[in-house]
Amino acid sequence: MAMFTNRRLGCRATLIGVAIGLVVSLTAAPAARQASPDIAVVVHPDVPLDNLTLTDLRRILIGDREFWTSGSRVTLFIRAPIARERDAMVKDICQMTEAQFRQHWIAKVFRADTATPPKIVYSAQMALEQVSRTPGALALVETPVAGKGVKVLKIDGKAPGQQGYRLR
Amino acid sequence: MIPARLVRACIALAVLLAPSAASAQMAHDQQPPPGEQAQYPSLKLSGFADINFADTKTREGPQGFSLGQFTLHLASALSPRVTFFGELSFTARADAGTGSPPATGFNAEVERLILRFDQSDRFKVSFGRYHTPINWWNTAYHHGSWLQTTISRPEMIQFGGRLLPVHFIGGLVEGAVPAGGLNLNYKGGIGNGRGAVISRGGDAGDNNGSRAYLANGFVKPDRIFGLEAGAAVYGDTITLTGDRDFGERIVSGYVVWHKETPEILAEVAAVRHEEAATGLVTWSNAYYIQAAYRLPVWRDALKPYFRFEHIDIDAADAVFIGLPNQDGSTVGLRYDVAPFAAVKGEYRTWRRASTIPRNHGGFFQVCFTF
Repeated sequence: MAMFTNRRLGCRATLIGVAIGLVVSLTAAPAARQASPDIAVVVHPDVPLDNLTLTDLRRILIGDREFWTSGSRVTLFIRAPIARERDAMVKDICQMTEAQFRQHWIAKVFRADTATPPKIVYSAQMALEQVSRTPGALALVETPVAGKGVKVLKIDGKAPGQQGYRLR
Repeated sequence: MIPARLVRACIALAVLLAPSAASAQMAHDQQPPPGEQAQYPSLKLSGFADINFADTKTREGPQGFSLGQFTLHLASALSPRVTFFGELSFTARADAGTGSPPATGFNAEVERLILRFDQSDRFKVSFGRYHTPINWWNTAYHHGSWLQTTISRPEMIQFGGRLLPVHFIGGLVEGAVPAGGLNLNYKGGIGNGRGAVISRGGDAGDNNGSRAYLANGFVKPDRIFGLEAGAAVYGDTITLTGDRDFGERIVSGYVVWHKETPEILAEVAAVRHEEAATGLVTWSNAYYIQAAYRLPVWRDALKPYFRFEHIDIDAADAVFIGLPNQDGSTVGLRYDVAPFAAVKGEYRTWRRASTIPRNHGGFFQVCFTF
């Protein structure tokens, strides 16, 4: 009997715990989402563009577009896996899984489509430094952009922080 | 055939290349040199290899364990617009060695050797030895077993096969234009076609005065991201032993859905031969359709697949004499054990003619990239 009572108490405690968890997650999740900053597309200042469409950005990130309109070659600096910028790039922009993205670039180099796959950077600061000193470079970093010597592109006419900006 | 000293030379070359390859890092995961501008040439070395097991009812191909291909891929930017690509393969063969009967050994082959100048996305020009871009599988997976879902290539584009020319030696122009979101890509080429042994290209020169040509176009629409569809034409004059000339025309097409939930590949090719002396025209054709699905279990590591393929050779075709027909089905499972390694198991059943009993067998492969 005592064991039965203990079980009932345990079930109640579990149910209460789950309910509290749900309430906390439902109230906290939107706040957390709002708190995560937008992801900016930064390029070297010599890139002759101020705006990119999301599909153009995808073409660049999967290597289907290798040159800017000025004729300079695109150099990609991308964050290592686990970074939020990497996750947003792979899943939201390229519509792939991490494994698919990795295989896509291995296959692209193996097909002789390109000899210059994306270069890996390990922090937003490192990405900004590389972009600022490499003509034609592009990277994705969380806003606010701390570094200087880079240009932030609009995506589909919207700048980071504007309502309707699609990279976050 | 490959003598032992060539193997030793290749090992020595690999050892010599190793320090620069290691310092340059692999293409898989590059890190920029801090504070340095790009340096040329920038050699990157990567590779693929596979180990296989086969057991078939009637012997056709290797039985038991066999080494697949050991493939080295070299890519080097020589300047911002000029790049070099090379692909070397070492293939285990029962007759590669010397002596009588010949000893087993490895065949070394320069699979691809390409020097390309990139003017822009719209125009790139290159010269060298290619995998003929008239078949999607031939240029998507090359010799990287790890890249392809299945163990085997479709028989219509088998290495050493005769139905379609696997290699092309010459020059290519290629490029891509947005075309209103269609992303229209093109390739056009001229070069040496098939040699007197038609499974081989004209590596040391064409064996007749007629060059081969090809044209290829495909689209990758933005609105249906993941879809790719294209078509190609190829023309050549084949000169067989005994100076018998045949005009060859190939038309092909494909549709591919790149995403893995599901993955769908379908290709078709038709080959027309016309003998110059008699005017006899023959048509042979082949197609395959393959479907796979990445299951949302076990870290997305499992991918079952199925392929049906068909080859129909015109019995009057003198160029394809001895080339068998095929109706075959393949069912299998790929398991990605690690980010760069996979194991695959498959069952195949196929029939060569209505008068020949159906053959079937089980196959297993471990493959990886490095």
